[in-house]
Amino acid sequence: MLGWTKGLAYTLKNLTREKVTYDYPNEPLPLPDRFRGVQKFYPEKCIVCNQCANICPTDCIQLTGKKHPDPAKKGKIIDTYDINFEICILCDLCTEVCPTEAIVMTNNFELADYSRDELFKNLEWLDENDENIRKVNKA
Amino acid sequence: MIQDLLHSSPGLSNFVIFFLLATVFLFVILGFVTYAILAERKVLGFMQGRYGPNQVGGRWGLLQTVADVLKLLLKEDLIPKAADRPLFILAPVVAFAPAFMVVAAIPFTDRLQFADIGVGLLYYIAVSGMTTVGILVGAWASNNKYSLLGGMRAAAQMISYEIPLVMSVLGIALLAGSINLNEIVEAQEKGWFILWQPIAFIVFFIAAVAELNRVPFDLAEAENELVAGFHTEYSGFRWAMFMLAEYVYMFAMCALITVLFLGGWLPLPFLGFIPGAVWFALKFSLVVFILIWFRATFPRIRADQLMEFAWKVLLPVALANIFLTALLKEFLNIF
Repeated sequence: MLGWTKGLAYTLKNLTREKVTYDYPNEPLPLPDRFRGVQKFYPEKCIVCNQCANICPTDCIQLTGKKHPDPAKKGKIIDTYDINFEICILCDLCTEVCPTEAIVMTNNFELADYSRDELFKNLEWLDENDENIRKVNKA
Repeated sequence: MIQDLLHSSPGLSNFVIFFLLATVFLFVILGFVTYAILAERKVLGFMQGRYGPNQVGGRWGLLQTVADVLKLLLKEDLIPKAADRPLFILAPVVAFAPAFMVVAAIPFTDRLQFADIGVGLLYYIAVSGMTTVGILVGAWASNNKYSLLGGMRAAAQMISYEIPLVMSVLGIALLAGSINLNEIVEAQEKGWFILWQPIAFIVFFIAAVAELNRVPFDLAEAENELVAGFHTEYSGFRWAMFMLAEYVYMFAMCALITVLFLGGWLPLPFLGFIPGAVWFALKFSLVVFILIWFRATFPRIRADQLMEFAWKVLLPVALANIFLTALLKEFLNIF
């Protein structure tokens, strides 16, 4: 077959082939379970050990703790917990280091916003971010 | 009806009638262009493993082109400081006007046509040659090296390919004994000219693609080497005029191929109950599809091969075809 007829046959065949595009904003992309997305935070699990804030390479995590309200118990509970997604690189180190799995990764990655202030996520927001959570965690 | 109008004495009422008819026809053509662009993007998309426009105007993107044109019309009117202002403004008009003029000569069915010109074929080819002037003027007035290169390429290419284009239709003129487009269609009652003149069809089709400046002969606007070629400096509605001219030519050229080679509004045997307009539309759509199909398939031809192909291949083949046709007509007396 002549070269150009081969080309024409190929493009014609492509007309009915299954398309390779995704209907992305309407249908979420299927992502692997180990995808590194925006973190989910469990305030009740947190022991305020500060390891996440220490290991963070961009210093985007800030947290404060307070004394446990029950005087019989030792240790602290979390008071504020903020991640600045202007500089967070979603490196997964905070979730790796967390001894109680109080912070885990999710598959959510849509961080586009109209204002930089929106990228400053606090404890409530991270607690409510409870969709598409990574299933396999160490604890 | 049009014939009577054309032969009636000039007057204000006749002028108004002609003006309204032309306006209606212009809107019909604009409608075609709108959906030809959409069809092109859709077919290109499907051939490249994607869907093409599917957001604006429902699943099929039916309003995508409308939105694009609206955007173009709303854009700021930019004219480069160093450009030749009057020529820059004039060029899109010069490019578009002949595109609209040629469609007046094309018979869509035996009743639906505007001007039944005795030398319709000649008129088409002569008037369509004028667009090159518009392109060259626009290219020169832009005062930009890429534009000028694109314009020169366009001029050289369109003049070169006009010759095999004309030479290939001479075979048809010989067989039909006329260059009136109506009579050419009527001469195809015995069989479409694509059967009697296959060589002429191939030459004509290649030359037509080159005349339309479409892939694989789109050297004049080669996006990736010349930054859009002759319309680099054009934007907004002036650019839209160039695009419009291009697609109206596509309309006209596909209609001409339908009329010359595919029997115009004539039906296939035993299918005469389908009206002529439908037949014309079907054949016409097929030609448009083939042009888009070519665009999806072929890479751009090299500039030096382009000229050699026109002068050393197409022209001798077209001339040989004329000779062969004359011999067959004279000695075998088939026609």
